[in-house]
Amino acid sequence: MLRWLVWRDLMLAWRRRADMLSTVFFFVIVVSLFPLGIGPETQLLRTIAPGVVWVAALLASMLSLGRLFANDYYDGTLEQLLLTPQPLFLVVLGKTLAHWIVAEVPLVLIAPLVGVQFDLRSDTLWILFASLLIGTPVLSLIGSVGAALTLGLRGGGVLISILVLPLYIPALIFGSGAVEASIIGSNPAPHLSLLGAFAIVSVLFSPFAAAAALRISLE
Amino acid sequence: MNLYRYASPAMFYPVAGKMIPWFSAAAAILFATGLFVGFFIAPPDFQQGEAYRIIFIHVPAAWMGMFLYVLMAIYAGIGWAFNARLSSMMASSLAITGAMFTAISLVTGAFWGKPTWGTWWVWDARMTSTLILMFLYIGFISLQAAIDDPRKADRAGAVLALVGVINVPIIYFSVNWWNTLHQGATIRILQKPTIRGSMLAALLIMLAACWFYSVAVVLMRLRCIILEREQNAARFAEVGV
Amino acid sequence: MNWPDLSMGGYGFYIWGSYAFSLIAIVWELVSLGQRKKALTQRQRQSSDTVPASVLRGSANETTS
Repeated sequence: MLRWLVWRDLMLAWRRRADMLSTVFFFVIVVSLFPLGIGPETQLLRTIAPGVVWVAALLASMLSLGRLFANDYYDGTLEQLLLTPQPLFLVVLGKTLAHWIVAEVPLVLIAPLVGVQFDLRSDTLWILFASLLIGTPVLSLIGSVGAALTLGLRGGGVLISILVLPLYIPALIFGSGAVEASIIGSNPAPHLSLLGAFAIVSVLFSPFAAAAALRISLE
Repeated sequence: MNLYRYASPAMFYPVAGKMIPWFSAAAAILFATGLFVGFFIAPPDFQQGEAYRIIFIHVPAAWMGMFLYVLMAIYAGIGWAFNARLSSMMASSLAITGAMFTAISLVTGAFWGKPTWGTWWVWDARMTSTLILMFLYIGFISLQAAIDDPRKADRAGAVLALVGVINVPIIYFSVNWWNTLHQGATIRILQKPTIRGSMLAALLIMLAACWFYSVAVVLMRLRCIILEREQNAARFAEVGV
Repeated sequence: MNWPDLSMGGYGFYIWGSYAFSLIAIVWELVSLGQRKKALTQRQRQSSDTVPASVLRGSANETTS
């Protein structure tokens, strides 16, 4: 069931490839805005790179969250999924996994390229890649709770942002912290471990919270 | 005596009404006493001179902001788990007062920061965590405002509040860690004044004042919420919805 | 007991500023609650021919079974 659900979401997303690409473009554009706003001085850019790339990833994730449940909600599929004998948290987990593959993995893959704009060394680029790889599941999982709570509400994207961005802060701190540690030459492993711990805790708890929120939104 | 009947909003309404004057009076007396002790009895601080006197409102406000958030989450959770409307209404009522105290804490913290360490805002762990707490309050209030059906708003708020309250220690830990990382081996910026007896007394009296004030105001708002929901229900009843 | 000087050793703006803001916040909260209550009682009086649900149930006087 889980595999079917993930495959279905991937197929649907593939038919709307433009959405996937627009998330990536948004990410790249936002990251490029910062040097334009601050100045091209290389040392400064290297210092702000971890924060800028991570914040851009947060914002791009936020924008894509609306698509997580909304399409199925509006055509009635979500109600049917609620009625299946499968536990709802598995449904949520499947959709979140599909969302991560479609919306977040492209960001993770393009981040090193974007990191080159900030003159980061290659080992730092690897750490950037790793931090986003570990951290983006947290974004999808916590975001799924926000998406479930705001299903069908007016105020849409902004409301999700208000709810979810404060909860993203720990992932932001440790994700960008890892990259920064790499830049200054110290060990990024503790940051990445803590980020990994958040990811595991999120996988264990977010689906249940999101499932409860879905039931509330759909009654 | 069956206490459970006070779980009904209509039954609790007059009880709250009777409680409010007592708590208001107590709050007023405690505020006056606390400020008197804080300004007339407590001596100037060794390091900060008179500037430290801001703590008599800053610290209680910060504590209230945090306590009320936890209390809000508890009431919201109980309201959700036991389908208890009054409990959820308490949570909604607590949110605004909690947000107000958090705002006071942020502003007074800035006013304390300017004379003592030179800038209006410093990204130290406590101020940053307080800012994030403000965001959490705003999220809760916004979510409830966006949902029309009151029971649905109650339940959605409960999920958000519970997720928030679990995240608060995590957020505090990461912000604390982030702050020490970036501060390096410099002196701790926010030097708390060494607390002397009269200062502690003033602080605790002000804290009690804030508690009694909160009870009074939250109950006042609770009565408004009860009335609003009854009126909406009656209006729907007469239309035949 | 010591009489504090009102300028608070030069920090007057910050101390009185903090307490002023707190006072304004508290007053704002009380005033907005008062307005909310007034709007409700006005609406109650306007639709006084409609019996509120709680009175319909007679819950003010009933005892639970």
